[in-house]
Amino acid sequence: MKPAPFEYVRPKTVAEASVTLGRRGVNTAAIAGGQSLMPMLALRVALPDLVVDISRLEDLKIVTRTPDSVWLGALTTHAAIEDGETPDVFNGLMRAIAGQISYRAVRNHGTIGGSVALADPAADWPVFLSTFGATLRIVGRNGVRVQSIDDFIQGPYETTLTTGDIIMGFDIPAPPRSFRWGFSKVARKSGAFAHSLAVVVAAGKGGPVKAVLGAAGPKPRMLIATAAQLEIPDSSEEEVRAAIKADLNAYFGDLDDYQKRMHTANVLHAARKMRAQ
Amino acid sequence: MAGHSPSEGWIGASLLRKEDARHLLGHGMFIADVRMPGMQDVAFVRSQMAHAAVRQVNKPEGQAANVFTLADLGALNILEAGPELAAHRHSPYPALADDRVRYAGQPVAACLAPTRAQAEDLADQVQVELDELPAVVDCVEAMKPGSPRLFDAWSDNAYITSTVSEGDAVFIAGAPIRLRRQFRMNRQATVPLECRGCLAYWDHRNDELVVHLSTQGGHVIRLGLSQALGLPENKLRIIAPDVGGGFGGKNRLMPEDIAVAAIALKVGHPVRWIEDRREHLLASIHCRDHFYDLTISADRDGTLLGVEGDVYIDAGAYSLWPTGSFMEASMASRNLTGPYRIRHLNLKTYTVATNKAPMGPYRGVARPGACFAIERLVDEVARELGREPFDLRRQNIVTSGELPYQTAAGMRLDTGDYIVSLDTAREMIGMEAIRERQQKGEPDGRAIGLGFAFYTEQSGHGQIEWVKRKSRVVPGYESANVRMLPDGSVMLHVGVQNHGQGHETTLSQIAAHELGLDPSRIQVRYGDTATAPFGFGTFGSRSIVFAGGATARTCRILAEKIQRIGAHLLQTEVANTRIEGGAVHGPHGSVDFSEIAYAANVRQEHLPAGMDPLLDATATYEPSETSGVFAYGTHAVVVAVEPDTGVIEILDYAVSEDCGTMINPLIVDGQVQGGIAQGIGTALYEEIPYDEQGQPLATTFGDYMVPCAPEIPTVRVAHLVTPALVTEYGVKGLGEGGAIAPPAALANAVADAFRHIGASFNETPLTPRRVSDAVERARRDFDPLNMGRRR
Amino acid sequence: MTTVTIDLNGVKIAADVEPRQSLADFLRDACGLTATHLGCEHGACGACTVVVDGKATRSCLSLAVMCDGRAVQTLEGLRSDAMMELLRRHFHESHALQCGFCTPGMLIMARDILRRHSRPDAAIVRHELSGQICRCTGYANIVKAIVAAGQEIANVATSEE
Repeated sequence: MKPAPFEYVRPKTVAEASVTLGRRGVNTAAIAGGQSLMPMLALRVALPDLVVDISRLEDLKIVTRTPDSVWLGALTTHAAIEDGETPDVFNGLMRAIAGQISYRAVRNHGTIGGSVALADPAADWPVFLSTFGATLRIVGRNGVRVQSIDDFIQGPYETTLTTGDIIMGFDIPAPPRSFRWGFSKVARKSGAFAHSLAVVVAAGKGGPVKAVLGAAGPKPRMLIATAAQLEIPDSSEEEVRAAIKADLNAYFGDLDDYQKRMHTANVLHAARKMRAQ
Repeated sequence: MAGHSPSEGWIGASLLRKEDARHLLGHGMFIADVRMPGMQDVAFVRSQMAHAAVRQVNKPEGQAANVFTLADLGALNILEAGPELAAHRHSPYPALADDRVRYAGQPVAACLAPTRAQAEDLADQVQVELDELPAVVDCVEAMKPGSPRLFDAWSDNAYITSTVSEGDAVFIAGAPIRLRRQFRMNRQATVPLECRGCLAYWDHRNDELVVHLSTQGGHVIRLGLSQALGLPENKLRIIAPDVGGGFGGKNRLMPEDIAVAAIALKVGHPVRWIEDRREHLLASIHCRDHFYDLTISADRDGTLLGVEGDVYIDAGAYSLWPTGSFMEASMASRNLTGPYRIRHLNLKTYTVATNKAPMGPYRGVARPGACFAIERLVDEVARELGREPFDLRRQNIVTSGELPYQTAAGMRLDTGDYIVSLDTAREMIGMEAIRERQQKGEPDGRAIGLGFAFYTEQSGHGQIEWVKRKSRVVPGYESANVRMLPDGSVMLHVGVQNHGQGHETTLSQIAAHELGLDPSRIQVRYGDTATAPFGFGTFGSRSIVFAGGATARTCRILAEKIQRIGAHLLQTEVANTRIEGGAVHGPHGSVDFSEIAYAANVRQEHLPAGMDPLLDATATYEPSETSGVFAYGTHAVVVAVEPDTGVIEILDYAVSEDCGTMINPLIVDGQVQGGIAQGIGTALYEEIPYDEQGQPLATTFGDYMVPCAPEIPTVRVAHLVTPALVTEYGVKGLGEGGAIAPPAALANAVADAFRHIGASFNETPLTPRRVSDAVERARRDFDPLNMGRRR
Repeated sequence: MTTVTIDLNGVKIAADVEPRQSLADFLRDACGLTATHLGCEHGACGACTVVVDGKATRSCLSLAVMCDGRAVQTLEGLRSDAMMELLRRHFHESHALQCGFCTPGMLIMARDILRRHSRPDAAIVRHELSGQICRCTGYANIVKAIVAAGQEIANVATSEE
């Protein structure tokens, strides 16, 4: 399984990369970690004429923290997050998510920007970013724009990226210190793509709850009824279950019976973990 | 080789492996590591359709010389594959497609280029014009009248059908308990970590075609390839390099290998093909794919009486030389009585051609399916009667006093104590404690289940058995050649093909035992038809019985001659001497092997009068009785199942097994654990589904789930040792046993977890979806008045 | 073709590579370093694992051209590495290999695990071996070997304190 031939270029700046990626009449692909692109090249389902290496652009590696938020450059690797090299204002949630994406050797190179740009419906980071209302900064032919993750991801493998666009990074609002979380993933084996991915977070006891479900539909969706139910102190598991079912029916129209059971159980599992924290 | 003292003897020593040295340093030489100057690579153009007429193959402009279709390969012979039974139909399988393709992935053309990448570029430019034909994808539907047919000359899609009829069908028709169940073990691939590969070139000095081939048995492949190519065997050399796993997937003559050899005969340089993973999942040997519709009959007291029904094998589009796949149906049916005293057997088997990749053997061959069926049936009968499944097994299992026991299907269970195995496994898994735990319920809401499965594993079967199977090639013996070189060092050449089993270690242990030497002084060689004595390779758990026996035999011949020479040099009678520590010892002194060997090889004047020089013995070996010896064991497994997601966690796995005398217990344990990992793969993870057009839906590891360390527990293994009576040292083969029982044990465990609602789990792999759906169905259909029994 | 300079097993080499050539194929074909094996070519089996700039890397998922200026270590280059020597001994003693095809990738990953974890238990080792396929051993002895190696390293470290 060898890739079809392509040209390779390594621009020195983000601006140069954007221009190169946007070249008319040339099929281009950006390569960052390469962990998703390489299999596609090997299988010849991706057939770029030109591969643009953005993996060394320092401007995409900036990681900063403010009192209210964390900025993660697009080239931040899953392993860096897993290892706690990025600010952990999420009480370990980001580290927990990172640590079970694919396999360690893949995490060493795979990036949060690459994951979001690909927008695989089963990807982990979009669910997390959606939970916290993160925004992306994107640079392109028309300058810089900021977009919420929910607007950015439009469907399976569909984003608002157009040719020449490069994700700079993610602005993630930081939750209050008292925040609790539960994260649960159903996959066929360790490191495989999720069949269900649920994140449930609560800002302290009795505080606002957010629940987001991924791998159930074209993009991650907030589970409104579930969150509302979980905000009610001492609400029973049956009540939470009913709320999840309502959310599934409202937001994920194509699920078969098994998927409904599985997602319900998975969201409930995440909710239990959150409550136990 | 730490931790062993020679005085303990080599039989039964957990000697650390000799073959480790090169692999730990990365100095293994696998097929893709073999380089020849001027070598070019092949990429195959493969059929995109499951069933089609080939109208035309269009080669790109200017590249016609580098694109080979069947017509470009020269005259080739198509071999008839399968048992030598008139009823077994011929499925001509050309090396490259002729006017028909019969499975998605069938090779149609071969593209040659300096690198594989360039060969794939060329393959992308080849246009294959196909006229689609309706695809046959269900082996039961395929047998119905009106089904599209794969082979126009056949009246239906069966390679062969058969019946097995033992006992009294009328009697069991009247049995008080009759349960009908359907079982499906879905299609998967063999997936050694190293894919297949071959490298062929004409060796001008030796005037022969050399084929480096990742294979489990070069001699038999040479036989087949020579027939296919029309090249005499003495002009064909097969060399197996290090082989990175086989499991049955590298033991048949395959079209790509014939095509590469044929191309090598035409061009003036070495030609190589290294299979990639997508090709492997698409077009290499597929396996398992059994469907059973069975009725088990029993008495109210739990005595199992009979099994009747249909066995369907989805055998894919062609028979693979030499064996074909009737073996799946015949072995399945002959193992459907399990280890139990079931005397009535009434089966119809259908080995069916479908538009899928050809079926071949995979660790366990048919027995995982048969074990799944019978062991699940035992549990179903137990549930029907409100009995512990373990107790029902114990009640019906053949006891040691009854051995040797001829099963209704004609298998002669030889030695052992099956009851002890059952009881040991029960104790290891802690059945009573599990039952208590189940009463309490789990805080996380998961259901706990306990499952047992018993298996027997026939090995060391030789002439009698293979002739019974009407085999085209009868692997009824093995050969060994042992020689002592002038300096006293020893070379042992064998006809089996080590590919992870540790033969370099175990066979040198046997040789060391017979020759009174340290195993480190014995070099074990295999895999090159130029130097290895004729043998049949490694498969069917045969190597320790056959090659071990051949090694013992030849080494004894050599030892006897060494002793006579030694006695002569010591000027004493042979009866006054003994062999030990690399020397012949007499009453007044000793003479080292090096001196003896020196005399025998280069100073023959020192030999006894009339004795021929050389210390070189070749012999064949077969067990004294060739219907086979039977390793056996009990698998016991505890699972925790989340009912809604259907996710299964294995909490504990214990095995009580008996493979007779163990030459090297460390290696035995490795085979058991490794076999179980593949068994768990079959039980829970591995599957290649097909859509209605015959397109396979799992062609990369993205969709084909191979379990890794987090998915496979460490199994606790207890060994019983009941030696075989007809083999050297009492050994029995055991390589496949680990893979036979896990699907049955795991399905029984999951069924046990939900026995209160009568859920059944009769299809592998037990994916989370299948498990959850079965639980849901049972919940819906549950009739509390019927106490969990099905409606 | 692009020229790349790579620190390969401690030696700086310069080579012309085709953009599409994977690091795995570059190592195996251009450099003759065949310890690194290909089991799937889509990053799902771990047989091709090497070390790039100190990080475990699936070489089938890397382009040779992207390793320009980087340090690459293969199993061959780690022959005299103290931790690798220790791991080899434990793999041997625990019977942690059968056909040997997965072994180079396993050893590289094992070393990476022990460089990041002190005295990891079996559960941690199992999790860290996610996605490293072995078809022969059933993993139990590989886990055992790595746990034992980790114990020995930690014991040596404490005794040296």
